[in-house]
Amino acid sequence: MTTLSLRAVPNGRVDMTGVLPETLAGRRADDIGKQIIHLAGSPLMLGDLFEVDVDETDMLVIRTDSDRLDCLGKGMNTGSLRVEGPAGHYAAQGMRGGELDIRGDAGDGAANGMRGGLLRIRGDAGAWLGAALIGDRTGMAGGVVAVEGNAGDRLGDRMRRGLILVRGQAGDACGARLLAGTLVVAGGCGTQPGAGLRRGSLILGRRPEAIPPSFNDSGRVDLSYLGLLHRHAESFLPGLLPASTQAHRYMGDLAFGGKGEILVLA
Amino acid sequence: MIINGVFIDDTYAEAFAMKATRIVITADNLTWARHAANAAFGFATSVIACGCEAGIERELSPEETPDGRPGVAGLLFAVSTKELAKQLERRVGQSVLTCPTTAVFAGCEGEESLPLGKNLRYFGDGWQMSKLIAGRRYWRIPVMDGEFLAEETTGLMRSVGGGNFLVLARSRSQALAACEAAVDAIARVPGAIAPFPGGVVRSGSKVGSKYKALPASTNDAFCPTLRGVAKTELSPGVDAVLEIVVDAVTDADMHVAMKAGMDAVCGIGAAGGIVRLSAGNYGGKLGQFHYRLREILA
Repeated sequence: MTTLSLRAVPNGRVDMTGVLPETLAGRRADDIGKQIIHLAGSPLMLGDLFEVDVDETDMLVIRTDSDRLDCLGKGMNTGSLRVEGPAGHYAAQGMRGGELDIRGDAGDGAANGMRGGLLRIRGDAGAWLGAALIGDRTGMAGGVVAVEGNAGDRLGDRMRRGLILVRGQAGDACGARLLAGTLVVAGGCGTQPGAGLRRGSLILGRRPEAIPPSFNDSGRVDLSYLGLLHRHAESFLPGLLPASTQAHRYMGDLAFGGKGEILVLA
Repeated sequence: MIINGVFIDDTYAEAFAMKATRIVITADNLTWARHAANAAFGFATSVIACGCEAGIERELSPEETPDGRPGVAGLLFAVSTKELAKQLERRVGQSVLTCPTTAVFAGCEGEESLPLGKNLRYFGDGWQMSKLIAGRRYWRIPVMDGEFLAEETTGLMRSVGGGNFLVLARSRSQALAACEAAVDAIARVPGAIAPFPGGVVRSGSKVGSKYKALPASTNDAFCPTLRGVAKTELSPGVDAVLEIVVDAVTDADMHVAMKAGMDAVCGIGAAGGIVRLSAGNYGGKLGQFHYRLREILA
């Protein structure tokens, strides 16, 4: 296990790009300390900000009490990265594999453009979780995101594939412009859920205050698919989905083809 | 070799390499899963005219199925991948898709895959939805009782078909009782099915016929009614012969299934009217697998 312990709260935002289990594996502590990262846009060595401890396992642990570490797990392909403390913005950005476990809150833009792997956020997530990278047409396209707490606005915006599970609440416009994939929010959501949703499933544990008018009520349904999803979700967030396969289905967004769905669990 | 008064012929069953797949059918309850399976795996006794051989392998508890509902696992065997794919699609399309509350899933992995819901999804007329869960793709096809859920593909397995043994008995009722016991024993073997009605065949065949159009015809050497006119294989006192045909996922499964079946017959023994055990073969030139009865029972 390689452990990076933040010495002090940095005086700017830190871009942690490149600090990954796969890039640090097999390297000595002094070598790892020379890895270049960026503080407020300026390069510096990893060892200037972190104490580095190395042992034989490939797991990487980052100990931090600051939420200024951005891009944690960015582009990660394999291995296991645990963040003991909060994460800054853009955690798991473009992640393709492995497991990133954030034992605290995550900032905005987590899992943007994610393609595979597992992101666990034990605290709350910020806005634009699972959304598109800036300039991209599609958001998250694979993998699983499991959030124990709440998520901010625009959860899963333009999401293309994959699964996002949120035990708490989501902000406004969750599942907006969803292209496909599955988004589960157990604790309810803000206004305009599923606005612009094309395909895909927005699954809500609680009925929102209002379903957007461009969704048509398709009534109460029994979907064996929910049994399948229940089993899968249990391995990430136990108890998140009920064992029941009953739901109330709203199809839409009819302004965007109407092939998607909001399911409000019974 | 004589076991419990039953003479074991020094012969072998000749079996063939086949392509197989396993599918899992679930439903709201076991009754409807069985309805779907019985329809899908019905009329699948012999590849000669049914296209495939199929049967229920075993029933599954809700804990064993992907969607947490009761179900059945079934095996389908065919002589080619193309024919197996055709039969699978037809049978699932006509008998599982149509059956209330059912869903269908892959029951095996394989180097190659066969379409399961991949083409059936078009029944959804554009309303079908795809879901990728844990790396496996499923299709949700809207139907009148809700949705038909079908996994996109299932695995293709290289398997063995046509293992068999013949039960020669003093009477038809005694032959049938022994075969029923054998089929019960084979049903408990994972990876094996007995595809004929009730698992038992009465119309064993030989290769060829006096009629040019027929590739196979009745096995006159084992027909008790022809003892007086045809060259017979029946020993004195044998009045009826029934056959058990077994298809199995692996060579090892075939050994286990044939042994289980023959052990059950031998357990009934001469006291139950069983005279001999024999097997069907074609001189060893057609089938890649030979199952010698005495070796299996040794």
